Amino acid sequence: MPLVMVAVLALIPFLGVQYAGLSYFFGVIMPYTALVVLLTGFLLRLVDWLRRPVPFRIPTTCGQEKSLEWIKYNRLESPHRFWEAAARVLSEVFFFRSLFRNTKAELHKDSTLVYGSHKWLWLGGLVFHWSLLVIVLRHSRFFFVMIPGYVDFLDFADGFLDVTLPTFYITDALVLAAITFLVFRRLNDAKLRLLSLPTDYFPLFLIGAIVVVGVLMRYVMRLDIMPVKDQMLRLVNFSFDAPGEIGTLFYVHLFLVSVLAIYFPFSKLMHAGAIFLSPTRNLCNNSREKRHVNPWNAAIKFRTYPEYEDDYREKMKKANLPIEKQ
Amino acid sequence: MEVMMTRSKLLWMIAGSALLLLILFSVFRKGEAETVPAPAPRAVAVDSTKCIAPKEFMRANHMRVLYEWRNSSVREGNRVHVASNGSRFEKSLNTCLGCHSNNRMFCFNCHSYANVKPKCWNCHLSPMETP
Repeated sequence: MPLVMVAVLALIPFLGVQYAGLSYFFGVIMPYTALVVLLTGFLLRLVDWLRRPVPFRIPTTCGQEKSLEWIKYNRLESPHRFWEAAARVLSEVFFFRSLFRNTKAELHKDSTLVYGSHKWLWLGGLVFHWSLLVIVLRHSRFFFVMIPGYVDFLDFADGFLDVTLPTFYITDALVLAAITFLVFRRLNDAKLRLLSLPTDYFPLFLIGAIVVVGVLMRYVMRLDIMPVKDQMLRLVNFSFDAPGEIGTLFYVHLFLVSVLAIYFPFSKLMHAGAIFLSPTRNLCNNSREKRHVNPWNAAIKFRTYPEYEDDYREKMKKANLPIEKQ
Repeated sequence: MEVMMTRSKLLWMIAGSALLLLILFSVFRKGEAETVPAPAPRAVAVDSTKCIAPKEFMRANHMRVLYEWRNSSVREGNRVHVASNGSRFEKSLNTCLGCHSNNRMFCFNCHSYANVKPKCWNCHLSPMETP
């Protein structure tokens, strides 16, 4: 079903531009709408999450907490300073450490349950995300008149194999392989198939379609790139001028990216922002070091010992009870 | 468990040797393909007095033309391009550069704008390098 949805989504701009001449809608209106929806949606969700109170420290730890001087503690797994927690979040963002601990339970023939290390999801996810990052950064050649230096480096590193014309990018193949793996990972296992929802498949197929269309444009159709760069520079400068003569595939690519951007704030893709705000990861584990009081607890009337003694001093003296203040 | 381990090891070895064979095979195939007959003498003289197609077509499609030229002339030995109006050209970068090398920035203006870097000048002399 999600596959059909993506196919229909890809057909819309194809028919719209090829037969109805709606290039202004797909080349100008759609990207701006998508940008507005993405930015406001992303911000609103972040603000919503930031407004949720987090009175107590609830990090998920797997290391020794900082306590006494002579007990070694684990800075990364049980952070007690801000920068340690930041390092923990960033290592999760860049290397997916929690996925590295992924295990797989298997029921063996003699009905023993065996847990084993299972790194494939970690590897597939890592390849997928890093390839996407490199691809997105490579695309910045369309957004700047003066092309930033890192694009040259990425071009060189990504096109290192130096085969085909135009140069084949390694990440193009890697991202397609990773998407294929991530889809088949869900389809392959009966348990996982049961757990998977259309919203799990849809972004995978959507990103897959974007990559496939991009690959077709670059290696197969060899689209004229000049009007594309013109159009992207216009978009970056918030111009509403009509796009020039661009191949239809470009509009399919742009429309699918727009759909992804619009879909982003309403979907599981928000994990991109959520990972930084998740209190089980970004908090310091310093409950022993510092007392955290729930701010909306009802005020309790305490009665201290000096007050008690003030009330009963004379009676205590008579009964020969020890008193602190004469 | 022991048996399983050795079996998986065996599978890995088979997979590894299959990959090795595949690589060797492709290398040898490439070696065979490289023994092309010596280039035939020029079929047509380099004619650089007019362009092979209208300007607008060349702007949008020169990369497709050059790609087609490279494959058909280098790999199949067909060095004659017949334009849509029937005039014949030699499939060679020299045909293009006969005119276009008078502007040193002819290729680079647009290519640097769009950051397109084809590998033409790894072998050929670019308009930048010719006097």
